[in-house]
Amino acid sequence: MGRTVLICDDAIFMRTMLKDILKQSGFEVVGEAQTGKEAVQLYAQLKPDLVTMDIVMPDMGGIDAVRAIIKEDANAKILMCSAMGQQALVIEAIQAGARDFVVKPFQPSRVLEAVQRVLG
Amino acid sequence: MELSRYLDLYLAESQEHLRELGRSLLELEAGAGAEAVSRAFRAAHTIKGMSATMGYRAVAELAHALEDRLAEIRDGKLACEASVIDQLLASADLLENALASVVVAEREKPEALPDAPPPEAPAELVPEPLQPLPKAQAAPIQPAAIPPDTALVVQVTVSAQSALPAARALIARRKIEDVATVLGADPETPDASFRGERRLYLAVGADVAAVEAAARSAGEIENVVVAAPRVEGGTFTLPTPAAGRTPGVHAEAPRSRHVRVDLRRLDDLADGIGEMAVVGMRMDELAAAGNLEALKEHLGRASKLIESMRETALAMRMVPVGDVFDRFPRLVRDAARALGKQVDFRVEGRDIQVDRTVIDAMADPLVHLLRNAVDHGIEDPEARVVAGKPPRGRIVLRAFRERASVRILVEDDGGGIDASRVAAKARKLGLLGEDDLAPTSGDALLKLLTRPGFSTASVVTEVSGRGVGLDVVAAGVRALGGAFELKTERGKGSTFSLRLPISLAVAAVLRVEVGGEHYAVPMTHVREAVELQDLPRAQVRGQEVIRLRGEAIPLLRLSEVFQLPGPRRQETAAVIAEIGERRAALAVDHLVAREQIVVKSFDAAAGMLPFFSGVMLLADGRPALVLDPMTVF
Repeated sequence: MGRTVLICDDAIFMRTMLKDILKQSGFEVVGEAQTGKEAVQLYAQLKPDLVTMDIVMPDMGGIDAVRAIIKEDANAKILMCSAMGQQALVIEAIQAGARDFVVKPFQPSRVLEAVQRVLG
Repeated sequence: MELSRYLDLYLAESQEHLRELGRSLLELEAGAGAEAVSRAFRAAHTIKGMSATMGYRAVAELAHALEDRLAEIRDGKLACEASVIDQLLASADLLENALASVVVAEREKPEALPDAPPPEAPAELVPEPLQPLPKAQAAPIQPAAIPPDTALVVQVTVSAQSALPAARALIARRKIEDVATVLGADPETPDASFRGERRLYLAVGADVAAVEAAARSAGEIENVVVAAPRVEGGTFTLPTPAAGRTPGVHAEAPRSRHVRVDLRRLDDLADGIGEMAVVGMRMDELAAAGNLEALKEHLGRASKLIESMRETALAMRMVPVGDVFDRFPRLVRDAARALGKQVDFRVEGRDIQVDRTVIDAMADPLVHLLRNAVDHGIEDPEARVVAGKPPRGRIVLRAFRERASVRILVEDDGGGIDASRVAAKARKLGLLGEDDLAPTSGDALLKLLTRPGFSTASVVTEVSGRGVGLDVVAAGVRALGGAFELKTERGKGSTFSLRLPISLAVAAVLRVEVGGEHYAVPMTHVREAVELQDLPRAQVRGQEVIRLRGEAIPLLRLSEVFQLPGPRRQETAAVIAEIGERRAALAVDHLVAREQIVVKSFDAAAGMLPFFSGVMLLADGRPALVLDPMTVF
C-alpha cells in the first residue's frame, strides 16, 4: 500500500491537481482539508505519512496549523505549498516545523522531488 | 495543461511590457520620479504573473527580483543612483534574454502529444545566467564575523532557479544541523534580499562528506564548498565557488507574429463581408433574371466593398514605429557609454503607423545607422568643444509620413563625412578613377559607401567616416522597394534617410510599357511622368539629357537598360525617377496606368538582370516585373 497523504488547501482546483500528481506516483490521498482547523483535526484522526499545507486558508492559516500539528507530533512531515512572493511566510512555516516547500504554479516533478526530500 | 497555444499572446504581451520597463528605467535615469518607478514595477509584475502562469519559472523569478528592487526604490529604501539603474537595466536584459530563450526553446519543441505531461522544460531551458540581480561584491569575511572555535566553513549556494532562496537556505541549515553543530551563519537570517549564498560556521567534529551531503539534500542547491578557514592578510578566504556566470549576449528577440487590432476594424471587416454576401445573392438573382443593367450596378457596389475591405485588412497590419523605436534609447545610451561619447537621443514620430513587415525589416538597419551615428558621427566631447560645439552630441530618430511613403531619418550633429577620405579609399579600391573628383553630394558619397567591399572592417579604422554595414542597410531598404539617402556636411553632421513604403502588401506603381511588355515603377521613386515629344533634348558630355523647366535630366532608355533586342524604338514618354539628389528620365514606349498593386517578392532566376525587386500580377493574370530604380542609375 502506498504512503498516505493529507491535502490541505481551500481551492478545489489546487487540491485536484495535487491529488492527481500524488496519486500518479502511488500515494494514497486519505483526506482533504479546506481550512487549517480541519487540517489539524484530520491529522490527528488519520496520522498520514505526509501533509501538504497551503499557507493562506480561512479559519486558521497554514502556519498556525503547522504549529498545532507539530505540537502534537514533532515528527509530522509537512510540505508547504506557497505562491511566489510568500518567502517570509514560508520561512516562518519552516521555523514552525515544516520540512520543505513547493511554489505555485506546481510542476509535477518539483512537487515529487520535494515530497521525496520530506519523506527522506 | 496545454499552454503552448497561449505562447504567441504571451510573447506579444510580455514584449510590450519589456519595452515599457526599459522605457521607464531610462526615464528614471533621466530624473523622472515615482510615476516611472511604479510603471516599471507594474511591467515587471505583469511579466512575472504571466511567466509563472506559462510555467516559465526562471523568467518569473527574474521579473520578481526586479519587482523587489523596484519596490525598494518606490518605498525609499534604495536610492535611485546611476549604479542602481545600471543594475536594473542589466536585470531587464537578463529578463529579455531569458524570455527570448524560453520562447525559442518552446517553438523548437516537437508538438506535445495530447496526453503528454505539462511542460516541464522552461525553467531548465533558460540558459545561464540566471542570477536575478548582479550580486553585491561579496565582502571579505572579517575575522570578527566568524564565531570563535569555527573549524569548518560551509558555503552553500542556492540555485538561482529557486523561487524562495532564503527559505531554501533555511532548510539547508536544518539539514546540516542534523549532522553537525552550527555555530553561526552569514547572513544570520536570510530574508527577501538574500541572493543565494550563505556561509555556515561549524564546530569541531563535523564530517566533511556528511555535511556536504546534508546540504545538498535540501534540494535546489547549486554548490556546496566545505573548507577550513584560512587567514590571509587579516581576512579569511574561501575557495572560490563556481566561477560567476557571465551575462549572455543579447539574444535575438523573437518576433511576434501578432498585431493588436482595433475591434472596430474587425467589426468593419465583418460588416463588409456580411454586405458582400447580400450583394452576391442579389447578383445571383439578377443574373438569373438576365437583368444586365442592375447586375452591372451591383458589380460596381461589390468592387467598392472589396476595395474598402482590403483597406481595412491592410490597416490591421499597421503598427506604430514606436514598437521598434522604443528599444533604441537604450542602445544609443549603451553605445555612447562604451565609446565615451555624450549623446542626447530623441525619438520623434513614434506613433507613425507602418506595416509590421516594413518596420520589422528596418529594425536591424536602424541599429546599424544609430551605432554608426554614435561611433563615427558624434565626436568625442573634447573634440566637440574644440570645434565650438556643446560637448553633448545630438542624435534624432525621426519618422514622418510623406506622400505614399514613410520617411525615417537618423540625424546627428557630429563631424559629417570626410568626402576626400572616402574618395581616397574608393580610388584605392578601384571604385573611383584616379582622375575622378571626390564626390560632392551626399548621394554620390552614399553610392560609394554602400558598395559591397567598401564597407569592410579595415575601412572603419582607415576612414574616419562611415562604412560599417551601410551596404547591408542599402540592401534592406532596396528589398522593401524603398530609397536610402544621405546628406552630410563637414563639421555639422549627417542625416541618413530611409524612404519606405507604408505597406508592403500593396504598392502604388506606375505601369509602363517597354518592348511590348509591361513593367511597374514604384511611386516612391516617381517624381512625375512626362510626354517626351514636347521636351528639348541635348547632349551633355556624351549623355543624352532632356530639359525640363530649366533642369537637365539624363535620359535612360529602359529598352537599352533591359538590353531588349530589336530596332531602336521611338519612346513617347519618360518617368522622372528621383533617388535623393539623383534623378533620371526613364524613357518608355508608353505610360499605361497608375495603380495599386499587390507585390509578390520573388527569387530572381539565375542570370536575370538585377533591375527588379518583385513581380505583380496584371488583370489578365500575366506577371509584370517591378522595377527597382535604384539599380538603374
